[in-house]
Amino acid sequence: MAAQDAPVCQIISFHDSKTSPDPFFELSPQCLNPTPAPIVIDNGSFQTRAGWATSAAELSSLLLQFRSVAARSRGAARSETQIGNDIPNLEPLRWLLKSQFDRNVVVNFEIQELIFDYIFTHLGINSEGSVKHPIVLTEAPCNPLHCRQMMSELLFECYSVPYVSYGVDGLYSFYHNNAQRKQQPPHTGIILSSGYHCSHILPVINSRQVTTNGQLLLCDFQSCVLKSCHLKCFKYPNTHQFPLKKLCCSVLCDVNFRLDAVNCKRVNVAGSQASSYLQRLLQLKYPGHLSSITLSRMEELLHEHSYTAVDYHEEMEKWRSPEFYEREVHRMQLSFSGKLPSGCVTAEERQERRAQQLRRLQEINARRREERLQQDQERLDRLLAVQELWEDGLLDQFHRSLVELNMDSAEELQSYIKKLQLAVEQGRQKLLHSDGVEGKTEGLEFEQPMDEGDGVALMDSDFFEDMLPQKSNMAQPSFNMAEYHQLFVGTERLRCPEILFQPSLIGEEQMGLMETLQYVLARYTPEQQEALVSNVFLTGGNIQYPGMKERIERELLAMRPFQSHFKVTMASRPALDAWYGARDWALEHPPGEALEGWISRQDYEEKGGEYLSEHCASNIFIPMKIAKPVPARSAEPSVTAQTSTGASAAITTVTSSLDASSASLSADVTMVTS
Amino acid sequence: FNSTVENKIIFKWHYGGPPATESTAKPPPFKDHTFLHSGIGGAAAGKKNRTWKNLKQLLVLERALPWKLDDPNYYNIDAPPSLKPAKKYSDISGLPANYTDPQTKLRFTSPDEFSYIRLLPSDVVTGYLTLRKATCIVP
Repeated sequence: MAAQDAPVCQIISFHDSKTSPDPFFELSPQCLNPTPAPIVIDNGSFQTRAGWATSAAELSSLLLQFRSVAARSRGAARSETQIGNDIPNLEPLRWLLKSQFDRNVVVNFEIQELIFDYIFTHLGINSEGSVKHPIVLTEAPCNPLHCRQMMSELLFECYSVPYVSYGVDGLYSFYHNNAQRKQQPPHTGIILSSGYHCSHILPVINSRQVTTNGQLLLCDFQSCVLKSCHLKCFKYPNTHQFPLKKLCCSVLCDVNFRLDAVNCKRVNVAGSQASSYLQRLLQLKYPGHLSSITLSRMEELLHEHSYTAVDYHEEMEKWRSPEFYEREVHRMQLSFSGKLPSGCVTAEERQERRAQQLRRLQEINARRREERLQQDQERLDRLLAVQELWEDGLLDQFHRSLVELNMDSAEELQSYIKKLQLAVEQGRQKLLHSDGVEGKTEGLEFEQPMDEGDGVALMDSDFFEDMLPQKSNMAQPSFNMAEYHQLFVGTERLRCPEILFQPSLIGEEQMGLMETLQYVLARYTPEQQEALVSNVFLTGGNIQYPGMKERIERELLAMRPFQSHFKVTMASRPALDAWYGARDWALEHPPGEALEGWISRQDYEEKGGEYLSEHCASNIFIPMKIAKPVPARSAEPSVTAQTSTGASAAITTVTSSLDASSASLSADVTMVTS
Repeated sequence: FNSTVENKIIFKWHYGGPPATESTAKPPPFKDHTFLHSGIGGAAAGKKNRTWKNLKQLLVLERALPWKLDDPNYYNIDAPPSLKPAKKYSDISGLPANYTDPQTKLRFTSPDEFSYIRLLPSDVVTGYLTLRKATCIVP
């Protein structure tokens, strides 16, 4: 921030930082002994973060952190795709960038495969034929089953991973921060997680372990209060729920928490909408600098120069005053571009130029008229001379001159003379007029140079002459070249983070974050609301604006009953805590016999790709068999999709005989529920 | 069945070549090279249509599954439309706006903004309206 003369004004230039390529790490022996260590990947739509889950000190932090983009120019081979930090500057390749995400869900698994290749190669994995390490991966809340199926297929078929675990990034972050703060379970709370494409409201209810009739049952807190009591049988996980009486409330002991997925909500406004909004605002304000206003610079503006107002209207009123504006506006200095501001001339200068052009045109016209007048005059004299010949009686000479003039008879000569006389008269009159009054016949004059090509050429040269005296005006204070290349970012600093709370700013009809929170809370009983609101947890990259926490506290104060208690906490590292949480979870729940939360190869083959093993930081899994799409090469698809219903349906899924590489489901799979 | 899978992996082992250092041309050793995504195209698509389904198409498929009323899935958890009326802000400065220009339909707060709006070229005006999704769809 350089301070200029006079009042404090902040002139800042863009960093335009370039990324450096990631190093290739060596696979350390701690990652292989005694069992292969899990690889933790936080698959975000903005950034992918990867690292190991070992207790070794030097491997306890993130190893890889890169943008989830891949760039491949058309016609280049697949191996020439640049990923993540291999691209030093995103802007030249902006139109070639592809991401595997559509909103916050992975849809393009070819690019996901490239990203996995990148991660595994940089982590130093060189085992043949398979990746021997379990993988912990994040997914979207309520991830579509098809996407999970494709992801599992990619991991199990292509990389032959032994175990996979899926979880929600906001929940991992919650888990990590609870562990950091050594909070005792039950962990009940509501998570506001705002990422790059979407923001989520995730209520988390602690669950209790119930023993009844010798079977270990897991009781859902909400169900207890609702007294409808759908319990899950722990012994046969993920079979469908069956009802029990409410005696479950009598014998309770706390274990851990589960996401209350029925009441989750998602607002489709987050970081990417904020940066594109900021970009459009600045481009509309400075149409001359269209190409300098790039998305990377917008992200830099949002990360470093934006803030959230605690009270939006009050803050906006402050921006009305010019002194506040002068103090708080951030002037972003762009580099000198050398092109002249064509649209930047003021109205007076434009009028000046127009008047000058008019004068030039008039001068041309006057000169033309004079010339024509002279020509007509000469011709008239000649014709008059010929006529005199005729009057004098020198018929031979008369006829000869008639032939010269290309005329047939004396009458023609006479009419011609008359016409010329009229024209000369008019010309003389016009000359008299134009000398005196200017501007009256402007409109007429405009038509005339159109006919004459010379007039246009003359006008162009005059135009350039006009430009040259313009350049000498640069030194004058009316046009400041440095200021022309500055972007004044004033209220935009405030408006762009605000779209999270008021999506109507960008025309979205959805509720904002706090209104959605109110909506979600209204679905619970007052006791539950108290429990949830006493632990509001903020996480996600988009939450990092200064003033966000105060704003949320203030809005909560407005929506909660008078003098009720609430507590808002922010993640210690909002963008990275999801990865650390996933790592903590992986260290505490290693894949082994318990297999709570892990999907093994066998599970994948038996239960299909969409199977999810639930754990404290995962989505809820509703057992449903979906059709496995057939790859393009096969002859006929004969996959039937059925659902697994309550008690005793035997389900068979039949797949056609496919290539060995793609068929993972065996011919007949029967799943019998108890 | 399992034996065939193992055989395939061992098969790859022989032909994988020495692990050595990674070179850009050589594909990474830890994957199955003949792996084909089953999500590309569909049965009827053939070799031409190798595009992935985008989110909208996936959600259409997902809706077709037999969900119960309460089950959470990706489109269920979308936040509903807002119940509160939207506040109006100036398109130029973002301050709370009380006035709308009848000619261009832009919102403004002060006479200076109004004169600025009237001097704007039409593409900038359309740009501001598109930002707010307020462009007129009447043909």
